[in-house]
Amino acid sequence: MNWWNKVVPASCLIVGVALLLWGCQSQVPANRQLGNDAAPSQFEAERSSELSEYLSRGAVSPSSKYKTRSFDGRRSRPPGRTREPREKAQKPDNGAFDELWIIPRDSQGNPMGPAGLPGSGALVTRDPDTQHNIVIPLEHTDVRAQIDGCVASVVVNQQFHNPYDTKIEAKYVFPLPQDAAVTDFEMTVGERRIRGVIREREQAEQIYQAARRQGRVASLLTQERPNVFTQSVANIEPGKSVAVAITYFNTLRFVDGAYEFVFPMIVGPRFNPPGSQNGIGAVAVGQVGASRQPTEVSYLRPAQRSGHDIAITVELDAGLPLGTISSPTHAIEDERASQTSALITLSANDQIPNRDFVLRYVVAGENTNTSLVTHEDDRGGFFQLLLVPPANLSRTERRPCEFIFVLDCSGSMQGRPLRLAKSAAQRALRHLQAQDTFQIVRFSQDVSQLGPAPIRATPENVRRGVEYLESLKGSRGTHMIQGIKAALDFPHDESRLRIVSFLTDGYIGNEVEIFQAIDERLGSARLFGLGVGSSVNRYLLDGISSLGRGAVTYVGLDESAVEAADSFYRAVSHAALTDVAVDWNGLEVSEVTPRRSPDLLVGRPVVISGRYTGEPPRFVRVSGWAEGVQVQWDVPLGEPSRNPAIASVWARQQIRYLSDLNPTVVQRDANRAEIRQTVLDLALQHNLMSAYTAFVAVDTTRITEGDHGVTVPVPVPTPAGVRYETTVGD
Amino acid sequence: MKLRAHVVAMTGLIVGLCSFAPLIGQDSGNEEVRFGYVDVVIDAGAPLAAYQFEIVDPTGSAVLVGVEGGELPSFAAAPYYDPAALQQSRVIVGDFQLDEELQSGSQRVARLHYMVSGASVPDYSATLMVAAGLDGSAVPAQVRWTWGESK
Repeated sequence: MNWWNKVVPASCLIVGVALLLWGCQSQVPANRQLGNDAAPSQFEAERSSELSEYLSRGAVSPSSKYKTRSFDGRRSRPPGRTREPREKAQKPDNGAFDELWIIPRDSQGNPMGPAGLPGSGALVTRDPDTQHNIVIPLEHTDVRAQIDGCVASVVVNQQFHNPYDTKIEAKYVFPLPQDAAVTDFEMTVGERRIRGVIREREQAEQIYQAARRQGRVASLLTQERPNVFTQSVANIEPGKSVAVAITYFNTLRFVDGAYEFVFPMIVGPRFNPPGSQNGIGAVAVGQVGASRQPTEVSYLRPAQRSGHDIAITVELDAGLPLGTISSPTHAIEDERASQTSALITLSANDQIPNRDFVLRYVVAGENTNTSLVTHEDDRGGFFQLLLVPPANLSRTERRPCEFIFVLDCSGSMQGRPLRLAKSAAQRALRHLQAQDTFQIVRFSQDVSQLGPAPIRATPENVRRGVEYLESLKGSRGTHMIQGIKAALDFPHDESRLRIVSFLTDGYIGNEVEIFQAIDERLGSARLFGLGVGSSVNRYLLDGISSLGRGAVTYVGLDESAVEAADSFYRAVSHAALTDVAVDWNGLEVSEVTPRRSPDLLVGRPVVISGRYTGEPPRFVRVSGWAEGVQVQWDVPLGEPSRNPAIASVWARQQIRYLSDLNPTVVQRDANRAEIRQTVLDLALQHNLMSAYTAFVAVDTTRITEGDHGVTVPVPVPTPAGVRYETTVGD
Repeated sequence: MKLRAHVVAMTGLIVGLCSFAPLIGQDSGNEEVRFGYVDVVIDAGAPLAAYQFEIVDPTGSAVLVGVEGGELPSFAAAPYYDPAALQQSRVIVGDFQLDEELQSGSQRVARLHYMVSGASVPDYSATLMVAAGLDGSAVPAQVRWTWGESK
């Protein structure tokens, strides 16, 4: 029995250890099936010889121009080892290509990012003919817009193509207008078109990941911010293409007599304060996961180019005779189809997507009037009212004001954006009246100001202010919250209306935190924004001015700072009409947005949307207060025009005021879950993208060969005028 | 000695079996969902210009993940689904076509992509709500479906 007592445990131990070893090895492919693309050995390779050995195991097709290998390493990492992200470049083995393998890891040396998030590894290939060109899986973006009155219906077609010889998943972080009501999503695989389905975001992500693991072509559209989205396309086979088409509606801005259609092309590099866990990271090409943020944008280095280009076509039906049509940002071709309609196309020489496209047009002849657009279906009636300020508002005098100019002097503003902001602020300073006071606050990594309190706008003080502005330079981070606190925490002179103007590109990733800080400190102040640059974060600027009952002006790199400052000053140089109320003349209206009564400013109509039952009236009665005097007038509406997009626009506005611009309720209140559910129900019922919904499309008819391949983020150029070195860096 | 030997043996077995645990979970996870498609065919007694049907999975195991058009040019574009109905686990799909040459007889008008849990083919119930000709009048028609799955 003694031998038996020894043999049995020994055998069991051997079997156990063998099973343990076998099990450990077998877990690697199992993990990959679960979506952990981050293969251990890629993250753990520490010497170039190890990397070369690893790379040599990959399958390479000698015939292909661009050669790639997928991650499938096996080595384990010694515990406790730390490492910084790094790159290893392989020498071309036949002169035909360069390979660049990216090895991201966190400070503990662990693979970064769970499945489906940045950190799963990346592959970058250089074109051998033009060493600075980066071959990326997004070939072309085609934008087709139809403008009917003041509502735009836009289809964005993104054409992905796999130029590598291994299967890939493409990830593209891109912008849309902050008020875009995204209502439709279609994936095209070959000749087949599959309409995506709206789902609760978590469910859509699970569906996409399951399809991706099983090797099916699938796509997922998620919203990271109201103006930032992620497009993921799984299992694009070598040499194959997949296209996705996104449809959205939005309302055009109307500023100083001109309608403005904006199509953003690029997400500018955001700054995330230390400790941010829900920011938008900015990394150099190939440094996937280095920002440690759940959403991440890869930027091309200054000398690098990708082949991605963009085409824009706008069919404009103004409904009234058209005046001038212009773009301050791009070369356009304008073909008039009739007195009231035109076809505008982006010039073929101006198709690099590195700045927002802005199109302005004026309606000739008469002034724009208040107008009503309606839509009725089985869900009920929806309306949108463009409320134009009364003409005599521009003849009212304003009371003395306390102007606070807050300048963003961070690294992203360095160069022309800051020069424009300084010029605009200097121009505005010179407009001030003797009874006004002012102060200038600058912020970047820290905050400082001209003086400890607002000072009288005497010629001498204005000169001091102009000189102070001239001395400002841009560098380092964007701690906007400190600028807001400094601007709103000054002791307030109750006899003056406080007007705070933010001059910034808005490149921050903590928008909600900013909205919360404003909400806490706003008081009776009015907040204005001057968005400066080629691709301003309009979600932030619009949000600030909306919360602060002010207005926002945008100035592009090639536009005049003087005109922007004058536009700002026109809006504040007369009394605003406050506490605006609309008597709907018997029409039953409900769920009206914005919830808080907006102020009417000279040259700045406001859009009010809601639901209604009954017959639209011939006129409505509008009332408000201008410097203590009640103003009331009747607004004829005429025959309302019809537009089915109004229902989606209304639902998007509801979501905006329930969540995007309601930080107090959403972030802190006990009703947070209830509001989330309200937004979710609204979004699902109206087929709308939101923070809680996503579109997913799966081609279930076939399974592609091999595993799900390598994740390839689509890198984008830094926006025009923004310095790579001070925003992304290496 | 005997007791110690058994303890060691059991430990070895437990260690060995534990190493399988993650695999067991993952395997079952991989098999928890399948993808397949439903081809919806309408047999129309006259040229079909418009249709609307409802298709329901009574077990609730199928999740709609894509809507594709039919085989003929008249209904090749991806049709629209009713998002409000979808929230009640009902799939209502419809389309109309006025420009193309319209077809009568049997034609696949839509392909619905599904994610399903479980091993069996979902037992859908399809109801034709609308079948109309160019002039808007009702067309005699029937709807049927077939299940397809690639493995």
